[in-house]
Amino acid sequence: MGTSNTTKVLLEMRGITKRFPGVIANEDVDFDVRNGEVHTLLGENGAGKSTLMKIVFGLYQADEGEVLLRGEPIDIRSPSEAIAARIGMVHQHFMLVPPLTVAENVALGLSSSRRPFTDLAKVSTRISEISDAHGLAVDPSTEVWRLSVGERQRVEIIKALYRDAELLVLDEPTAVLTPQEVDDLFVILRRMVDDGRGLIFISHKLHEVMALSDRITVLRDGRVAGSTTPAEATRESLARMMVGREVRLTPHKGKVTVGDARLSIRNLTVIGDRGTPAVKNLSLDVLGGEILGIAGVSGNGQREFAEAVAGLRHTEPGGTITMDGADITTSSTRVRRNLGLAYVPEERMRDGVVAEFSVSENLVLVNHGSKEFTKRGLLATGAIRRRSTEMVKQFAVKTPTIDTPIASLSGGNIQKVVMARELSASPGVLLACQPTRGVDIGSAEYIHSRLIEQRERGAATLVVSEDLDEILGLADRIAVMYEGEIVAIIDSADAKREEIGLLMAGVLET
Amino acid sequence: MKKNRLFRLLIAVFALALVAAACGGSSAEDEPATTTVPTTEAAGATGSETTEPVAAPLRVAIVAPSAKDDLAFTQSMVDAVNALDRDIELSITDGTFVIEDAAAAIRGYAEDGNDVVIAHGTQFGASLIEIAPDFPDVTFLWGTATDTQGLDNVFAYSPAADEGGYVNGIVAAGISESGIIGVVGPLEAGDAVAYIKGFETGALDGGAKSVNITYTGSFGDVALAAEAAQAHLVNGVDVLTGSAQMVVGAVGVASQNDIPWFGTQANQTSLAPDLVVASQVYHWEVILEEMLSLRDAGVLGGQAFEINLANGGLVIEFNPGYDLPEGVRAAADAAIQGIIGGTIDTGF
Amino acid sequence: MSDFFTLTVLVAVVGSGVRLATPYLLAGLGETVGQKSGVLNLGIDGVMQLSAFSAYFVVLKTDNLMLGVLAGLAVGAVMGVFYGVITIVFKATQGISGIGIFIFGLGFSDLLFQRLVGTPKPIRQLPTIEIPFLSELPVVGEALFQHNPLTYVAFILVPVTILFLGKTTFGLNIRAVGENPHAADSLGVSVERTRYVAILIGNTMAGLAGVALVLELGIFQPNLTQGLGFIAVALVYFGSWRPSHVMAGALLYGLVNATVLQLKARNIIPLSFSELAAMAPAVLTIVALVILAQRVKGPAALTKPFIRH
Repeated sequence: MGTSNTTKVLLEMRGITKRFPGVIANEDVDFDVRNGEVHTLLGENGAGKSTLMKIVFGLYQADEGEVLLRGEPIDIRSPSEAIAARIGMVHQHFMLVPPLTVAENVALGLSSSRRPFTDLAKVSTRISEISDAHGLAVDPSTEVWRLSVGERQRVEIIKALYRDAELLVLDEPTAVLTPQEVDDLFVILRRMVDDGRGLIFISHKLHEVMALSDRITVLRDGRVAGSTTPAEATRESLARMMVGREVRLTPHKGKVTVGDARLSIRNLTVIGDRGTPAVKNLSLDVLGGEILGIAGVSGNGQREFAEAVAGLRHTEPGGTITMDGADITTSSTRVRRNLGLAYVPEERMRDGVVAEFSVSENLVLVNHGSKEFTKRGLLATGAIRRRSTEMVKQFAVKTPTIDTPIASLSGGNIQKVVMARELSASPGVLLACQPTRGVDIGSAEYIHSRLIEQRERGAATLVVSEDLDEILGLADRIAVMYEGEIVAIIDSADAKREEIGLLMAGVLET
Repeated sequence: MKKNRLFRLLIAVFALALVAAACGGSSAEDEPATTTVPTTEAAGATGSETTEPVAAPLRVAIVAPSAKDDLAFTQSMVDAVNALDRDIELSITDGTFVIEDAAAAIRGYAEDGNDVVIAHGTQFGASLIEIAPDFPDVTFLWGTATDTQGLDNVFAYSPAADEGGYVNGIVAAGISESGIIGVVGPLEAGDAVAYIKGFETGALDGGAKSVNITYTGSFGDVALAAEAAQAHLVNGVDVLTGSAQMVVGAVGVASQNDIPWFGTQANQTSLAPDLVVASQVYHWEVILEEMLSLRDAGVLGGQAFEINLANGGLVIEFNPGYDLPEGVRAAADAAIQGIIGGTIDTGF
Repeated sequence: MSDFFTLTVLVAVVGSGVRLATPYLLAGLGETVGQKSGVLNLGIDGVMQLSAFSAYFVVLKTDNLMLGVLAGLAVGAVMGVFYGVITIVFKATQGISGIGIFIFGLGFSDLLFQRLVGTPKPIRQLPTIEIPFLSELPVVGEALFQHNPLTYVAFILVPVTILFLGKTTFGLNIRAVGENPHAADSLGVSVERTRYVAILIGNTMAGLAGVALVLELGIFQPNLTQGLGFIAVALVYFGSWRPSHVMAGALLYGLVNATVLQLKARNIIPLSFSELAAMAPAVLTIVALVILAQRVKGPAALTKPFIRH
């Protein structure tokens, strides 16, 4: 990972400022990339990373400042100009057309040698050459929707290489990959850098940043918070630069005596949206006083499993779900709640809150029928306001007022509202899905500490997460889910990242 | 701000579109057919609330489902009002195939102070039950209908379309060589059924072997009417007729294949000058005059009228451009006399 | 009844079905191109009526069929420019805008007809062209190869559309823009320009459909199409955006209609069932296409205006 200061500066951005109505997305940002290096742009959601890169790719124009490419000032006004200048971008959300083939996706926007017809045969040949040269195995004639997430990522990179990109911007490319796919990707990226290309890597996953980068620039609130190298930095120091204060990355867990099983699942089979079993004959116990983490790559049945436990999805006959001895397999969500089940859903905007409602209304959403909040069939406004104010304070929700529509809060604060509501009933069993996805580090730290509190209170806590770091930090035991089954349960004290990664990919049998 | 100007232009064009659609051809409104010849009869009928010594024109409005010059049902009424020997100020809203639009137009004309509102469509009956009682001074004419639904300011009118149908049938059988005759009708409703039934009886009485009748299911689908006529041709049909405004399609097919055609509701000779043999034409003015006279005398409604061969409201107009054998023409005249004399049953 | 399935009758029914199918096919193919680019146009019925009237009026005045066809195509293209401004420049809701175009086309063609023509007058119809050799084939010759030129054009446009959408760079752009405009945009494909051209093609073909209808009939009447354009839109949906399925749907619709008319002409369908039988073509066509299509998903960005974010 040696930084070679002797190489040329490929891209240089000086004093970039970009304003949107009411927001300054980038303010006086300096940033540069040299040939043959990976320069990481690190920051929280909303810190201005994507805006800066959209300026590079011609999707936005800077209000102030200048951009130099290979030492020459350049004004990039559209993606086609960026492509012509040999700049490629792999977007966070794949810019692929699923019903089209890989070759068609690559050929899109290129001129053809057989105008007006496409020259897909030629394109396919060239794709195969690029695949071989860079270790990006993919079949050019396959429709993209048939590909795995990792393969789609490769198509995105091939698209950039096909256009002979010298500067490649990768916006959160690992968000959807398994640990093994991330490793593979890093090998490929490293090879590209060694060819003399310059890479901008955007991420908020600290250990990946440490692993791949030559240089790191941290953005906070649209400004450069600092620049460093992996040799000089630690994960803690990076987190501090991102958030602007000391952050505890690994939650502190006290010793807790584990009790009996509070949630027992036996032989659970759940049919997914495609009509095939998404969860297959799954059995699991969650004990009082423990956090059980479910690790797995997205789409291996975690969502269906969680929905079945929450009572949002039918289960197949033969399976049972018991909570504190009561069979709740076919119970309604209300009965489950009354028995002490709390649920923090994966899609918080869709399933966790009512977007049009205020913070206060969302806080009492599940309890509004209770005696505390109802008088003669009407909502007791006074009591609701008192309680909401209390909860907002208790969970450090940043909101102008309790009457603010929830949709206008940040992801982290919305999640805190959901957590506040779900934990206010002191649940016996807590089911939390992707509790910190899309949440800033500060809020994530806070949410983690509240989850650990539940453990100390004696609740059985089940955390489903695709973020392996989160699982490793929080869980007492880790269950790895693959193709609808629990393939292993590991004590977190003995857990190794690599082993879990292999289990998640279905490579390792236990 | 170039965008803003463009947007305003767009809105203006859209407004134009909406106006065009709303009028749907009610363009006739601003060109009222006004006859300036005052009739002594009307002026003499004193005591009636509508006529004053200095005769103000009688204000008449027509609301009709198809175009005012459709060469069929609607045109027959417009022509009739224009043919009246009276001082009349006429307004027309045509093309109101949506009943709600028609009802709004009917009410609007009544509110506007028209003396007579003609609801020219069987389907407007239900609307009249609601509207007519609100305007006791206005006379509503409703057709085709055979009763007034108990409303005393409504006159009902209908054609004895079966009579002309019978005569056309006799002639058709007389010129058909194959003896197979085709009919293209819309829905089985209104005066189309009467015409077609009369035609069938006439043709069979005149010696036809078979009368093949197709109801296409639509009053407006010209293409379907054309193909219905095509379907008849395969089966040896050598004479065609049909009723309602979509028959222009069938006339086109007849004209392409040199097949004689019989019309009804209006004179359709202009559609196929060489091939239209005869048309049954509605002359509503015969009974219109009667109804208006009753109104002059203070009777605002409550009676039903019929145009027929006997009162001259139905006329068979032969196309001088079609060379009809004399014997056939004589048979037609005999049929007309038979119907007037009551010796022929049209089967309707 | 027993002689219903004679060859003569069969030939007549197929010929009639093909004639009836022609405007549906032309309008449906155009709508397919538009929808593939992500733009729904519910207004094609109105476009057809305006084009039909224009062609009618020009032929009435000049007695020149070629000029009539050109006039209809030009009006279709102008309506395309108009619809493009509404949906692409101003990003208006496509469903409602299409209805606006329909109402405009219906009302304006009616108004023009009343003002400029009044009483329906017959005009020259498109001549029947007998394709050499093919038209002399027994049975199929008369049923399939003795039609007017626009019918041949419509059926030739089926493989042309398939080739255009599937094998050309512009077709690729259209498909990409209809599925994921952001992806196309990120590769420098202009979403606006691609959709604009697709709309122009769609509207011009709708115009041609109106021309085919009016020049087959040789007469114009207000609301000539009777909702034909809406059925064409339905054929595109139920034909799962495939030109071949749209053709199958249009043909089936035309053939069932022709069969019903033939059965009625021979009094095989009793008069009392006339109205029920009139619904058969639409019902049968939709059922058949639904079975054929097995719920294929439409273009993912259909009806969604493109806004960069």
